[in-house]
Amino acid sequence: MTKDKKRKLLAQRHVSSRMNFLFQASHLMAASHQAKLAAYYGKLCRNVGTKAVMHMAPALKRSLCRRCSLPLMPGVNTELRVAEENPTPQAGEETRTASNGEETPTASNGGEVEKTKKKRHRRLPKNRKKKVEKKEEPPANPNESQPEIPLNALFLECSLCQGRRSFTLDNQRECWLEQPQSLVQVLSLPGENAGQ
Amino acid sequence: MDHAMSDLKEFITDLVVPHHRRSVNINQDHITMLEGSKIKKQHSRKRRAHKSTTLSRKEYAKLGLNTLPTKQMKYEEALPLHNLWKGYVREHLALREGGEVPEVHDPRYDEFSKQLVKLDLHGAKLRVTQSKCSTLENLSGICVMDTKNVLKLLGKDHRLRTVPKSECVFGLKVGNMEFTIFGQHLNIRPAERSVKKIKNFVEPFM
Repeated sequence: MTKDKKRKLLAQRHVSSRMNFLFQASHLMAASHQAKLAAYYGKLCRNVGTKAVMHMAPALKRSLCRRCSLPLMPGVNTELRVAEENPTPQAGEETRTASNGEETPTASNGGEVEKTKKKRHRRLPKNRKKKVEKKEEPPANPNESQPEIPLNALFLECSLCQGRRSFTLDNQRECWLEQPQSLVQVLSLPGENAGQ
Repeated sequence: MDHAMSDLKEFITDLVVPHHRRSVNINQDHITMLEGSKIKKQHSRKRRAHKSTTLSRKEYAKLGLNTLPTKQMKYEEALPLHNLWKGYVREHLALREGGEVPEVHDPRYDEFSKQLVKLDLHGAKLRVTQSKCSTLENLSGICVMDTKNVLKLLGKDHRLRTVPKSECVFGLKVGNMEFTIFGQHLNIRPAERSVKKIKNFVEPFM
């Protein structure tokens, strides 16, 4: 038994060292702008992991793109960007414009047809809204008490496959600077003060 | 809307017997339009959901991830990869300063040779020592890509060459050691190589 265990451990060590090498290689290639090779090594690293039934650390796993396993490094590969608008008001605006566009030609002819059309238009956006809300709910749960605060989403866009890795901003978290418990000490550099 | 309604009225009145057409009176409240576009929308939604999570093999190939450009990579760009690989080999084969490679009669020899087969070749400097195809002989370069049947070597003249594994014997240098790899037995997918069981005795083909 012990010998078997030892052998297993040894094999696992070798697999992990290989995965480590591949991961580093993919980062190296991404840093030298060889996106294809980087994605290839990332993919291989993942595949080795799945074949040998070994898990990557989740933080490392997430640093690879979900779709093409290109390592996403903000500032090198991609940029951390803020999603332009909240998806919920956008959908609302769309429906408004759509209904307006419908109304202007039909306004002269008040009738049942128009009403039914309107209804259909209303139904679809409602569904959309519901979906969007569902998606956002899990991270927004602590935020529900103060619904006025908009949830901005940060995202990294993969340059190869346009896949997105999004982050939610939640200023109720402890690490947020505005939260009083996150500040332990305020230091000011002497050079800055002299400059002022 | 006017236009559509008049079209409808025309259509309906045309259906009536000619001498009754004058007395046709259409109440607009009784008209309901049906638009059959629901199925398509459901279809598109499903597709979109699928698209966001993973790439299919087709999409993967469409992005050009299975192929590499032959003349765009410089040899110098692959050198850092080679340096990284050197460190990896040292870790993988447990090489130390002053250590000795086990001989054939050594009990460690079996283990060592198995590890050698499982070695990852990305970034290794390889040289084709023998081949059934004479033009492939003496090609050398840094291995950049490793697939089931083929190695892609980046030569010093900045060209990427595709070398079939099964016809060649490769020479591999690690420090002051030289290994000979029979490509025939390398014909495994690189991801599966680290898991696959390896026979103790295999015959060289040449």
